[in-house]
Amino acid sequence: MGSAFDTFRKLGPAAFLLKAILSVAVADLLLLGFILLRRTYRSWYFANRDARMLTIHRQWDALISGEIPYAKWRTKTSDRELIEAMVLDVLEIANPDESARLLKFMRASGLIEKRIMEARHHRGWRRQKALVSLARTRAPEGIRALAEGLRDRDSETRLAALRGLGRMACPEAATEILDWVDDAGLIVPALPLQSALVQTCGERPQVLLAHLDHEDKTVREVLGRVLGEVATPSLGPELLRFADDDLPELRAAAARGLSYLAPSSAITVLSELAKDSVWFVRLRAIVSLAKLCHPTALPFLLQGLTDPNRLVRLRAAEGLVDFKAELVPIFERVLRLQDQYGLHAFVTAVENAGLARSLATDITADTQISSDDRKDLLEALRTGKLSTVVGGPQERLRAKAAAQS
Amino acid sequence: MIYFLNCANHALFYYYLASNFAYLAMLVLALRTSAAHLRHLESIRFDWFKGSPLIPPITLLVPAHNEGGFICTAVKNLLDLDYPELEVIVINDGSTDNTLQSMQKGFDLRHVIAVYVPKVVSAPVRGLYRSDLDPRLLVVDKEPGGSKADAVNAGLNAATSPYVCVVDGDSVLERDALLRIMVPILADPSRVVAAGGIIRVLNGSELQSGRMRRVRLAKKSIEVIQVVEYLRAFLIGREAWARGNMLMIVSGAFGVFRTDLVREIGGYRAFAIGEDFDLVARLHRHLLEQGSEYRIEFVPDPVCWTEVPSDLRSLARQRARWHKGLLDVLWPNRDMLFRARYGRIGSLALPYLWLFELLAPVIEITGFATVLLAALFGALSKTLSLEFLLFGYGFATVISLGSVLQEELTYKRYNDWQDVARLVSYCFLEHFPYRQLHLIWRLQGLVQYFRGDMAWRPLKRQTQPSEEDINSTSSSVAARN
Repeated sequence: MGSAFDTFRKLGPAAFLLKAILSVAVADLLLLGFILLRRTYRSWYFANRDARMLTIHRQWDALISGEIPYAKWRTKTSDRELIEAMVLDVLEIANPDESARLLKFMRASGLIEKRIMEARHHRGWRRQKALVSLARTRAPEGIRALAEGLRDRDSETRLAALRGLGRMACPEAATEILDWVDDAGLIVPALPLQSALVQTCGERPQVLLAHLDHEDKTVREVLGRVLGEVATPSLGPELLRFADDDLPELRAAAARGLSYLAPSSAITVLSELAKDSVWFVRLRAIVSLAKLCHPTALPFLLQGLTDPNRLVRLRAAEGLVDFKAELVPIFERVLRLQDQYGLHAFVTAVENAGLARSLATDITADTQISSDDRKDLLEALRTGKLSTVVGGPQERLRAKAAAQS
Repeated sequence: MIYFLNCANHALFYYYLASNFAYLAMLVLALRTSAAHLRHLESIRFDWFKGSPLIPPITLLVPAHNEGGFICTAVKNLLDLDYPELEVIVINDGSTDNTLQSMQKGFDLRHVIAVYVPKVVSAPVRGLYRSDLDPRLLVVDKEPGGSKADAVNAGLNAATSPYVCVVDGDSVLERDALLRIMVPILADPSRVVAAGGIIRVLNGSELQSGRMRRVRLAKKSIEVIQVVEYLRAFLIGREAWARGNMLMIVSGAFGVFRTDLVREIGGYRAFAIGEDFDLVARLHRHLLEQGSEYRIEFVPDPVCWTEVPSDLRSLARQRARWHKGLLDVLWPNRDMLFRARYGRIGSLALPYLWLFELLAPVIEITGFATVLLAALFGALSKTLSLEFLLFGYGFATVISLGSVLQEELTYKRYNDWQDVARLVSYCFLEHFPYRQLHLIWRLQGLVQYFRGDMAWRPLKRQTQPSEEDINSTSSSVAARN
């Protein structure tokens, strides 16, 4: 066997190694040269760009009002891109009057039309870029092009279109998204879809209702979650029909929406939902009960304190703490539950609300409480622990489940 | 003997070629991925994310041990991060200085009886404190656990968000870093279970009130070499591995994880030497065993600036420790190697780490010995070996220059001509004698591991941004952890 280096020499007709050295030296030089040239070019480019930007800033009003003819700059790519970028930046922070003026300028100059054309005819990142620009204008005429982007083969483009429609924040955009979901099903991740729908359905959540009978369970779940987020008082009675739906997401949406109804009609349904087998339905119900802040909700909130799920207990406790004027009797009832986890959640909520000191003062000042009870209450408030451990095997099992939740 | 030496040299050369070509392939892949990522960023508006009501909350976990001098500045900066749903949990890991007191003073902390469910194991908690100035801040005061992992576990128990992000108290996060790191998670939260950001070298840069004021390259050679190393590791290595969903390390200084999953696998392993690597390896194992479809992403644009060792002694300790950590994770997971159940992780990522990372110092030192012996026995052509050395040098330089090019093409943090010139020059200079020293440090790590020397030696910290610092130039010594 020859030397390993000889093997390398034999690999090529000539000195392989020398060629390799030459290649890497050339590669090194090319990389170096590229880095230097690019830096030089970029310095020059940005210096020019900054200077041009300054000029445009100086002529801003003349430009936006149309005094400077559009034809003068829109055929120059660099100028057009620069002006569009500047207008979009201003548009995002502009007041309604200024927005209208800028939008008028973009329409008149053909910038929006150009972006619509690009969003329709380009592919890949160019289309994504056009979709984002269109969405930044929030011009209604862009909705159609954005909706077409939803049907692109590329998932990134679909996401860009979806986010863009979300940015539009109007029912027309919601309708486009919902129609697309009806046709295509859930072909994007759920969160961006939910997010876009929450943004677009806020104004008119009713647009969702017609789509909630979708046969795909996953789509119904997503729409249910959106409904839960955007539910308004106007939707309250409509939501009652979902209170006994098979899908927990829709039951949760109903629970959320019910917080907008009058307590007399909401509490009965919410108290049932607060016993649901699915934790997030119970959570929504408890949050809604807390939001109603009605004395008739108290027993159910106290019941929520003994829930096996930690989040439900915490929300129930926060709801109870909102009854600030009745905190002492509520605390007594909490102690009577003899639930360590419930007590812990309640004391945490009192602490977080900054009410621990005032509650202690109220307990001390309350003459209707016996001295033994007062001592127990203060001790429990101070330590967050029950003075006596009560409970049989079932209680302990529940406590164990609660600890694990 | 000559036959044996030639065989060894052959193996060494093929090993060397394989290693370098692997890196070259990674460079090409990383360049493509970065270009795609930059274009992808053009279709993203971060303010849209901020406005979304469904943006998931994040809990920042900040383990702190004797960091009273600068913890308040660090926490203030974290609370100022541009993310709408944020909770910051500082874990005071049995500090013996005034860490807790300075936080009590700075943030008006009050003792609270908050729900703390010890789902993952950690040393006992002494108390929980919430800030009256900013209710998003919770401080967990605990008994010393002897490791960063133990402190993070305590924070994990107190966290209430679906995502946790572990941040070192002595690191500086850029203001939009959380929004940026969440991009892949927000795009597909059901599949993306973790994401890591890029760690960059803070040494030399100017800070103002603990915030990055001006990025400059460090002064000392040893620090600049580390800048090149970090660029290579993150912009080439991690970018490429993540592309194939084979990312094995999400840096302990800045990474976001799904809270439920981290709890499910028992949190951080308290006495793991490389706890960040260990966590990701266990996440891969857990998810692959469950047959889950998941991704662990690397996002190159959210930046966490961290100080790196600025003297040889500290650097040697750090590198030995990293190598010990590598073995400490690879050895318990050896059963994942080449098993179909573990997919690409078992068949590609882990074998690569064994062969080209863990065993590299052993193979390289053996190679030096055999080449030297072959030369002594006259079985080696001096001209050719010199030529090969030149080729190797040139090739390694291409890779380093590639990482600088990657930086230039994409994120371009070093704007000063002088800095870039120095960065480029160190691509040529790092090979002698730094690489040889690095080899020795890594060997030391292996020896320490086999001797059972697992002690973590705290590294001295020269400067840190204190409360009073308005302008400070950082050129300090700090370990990664």
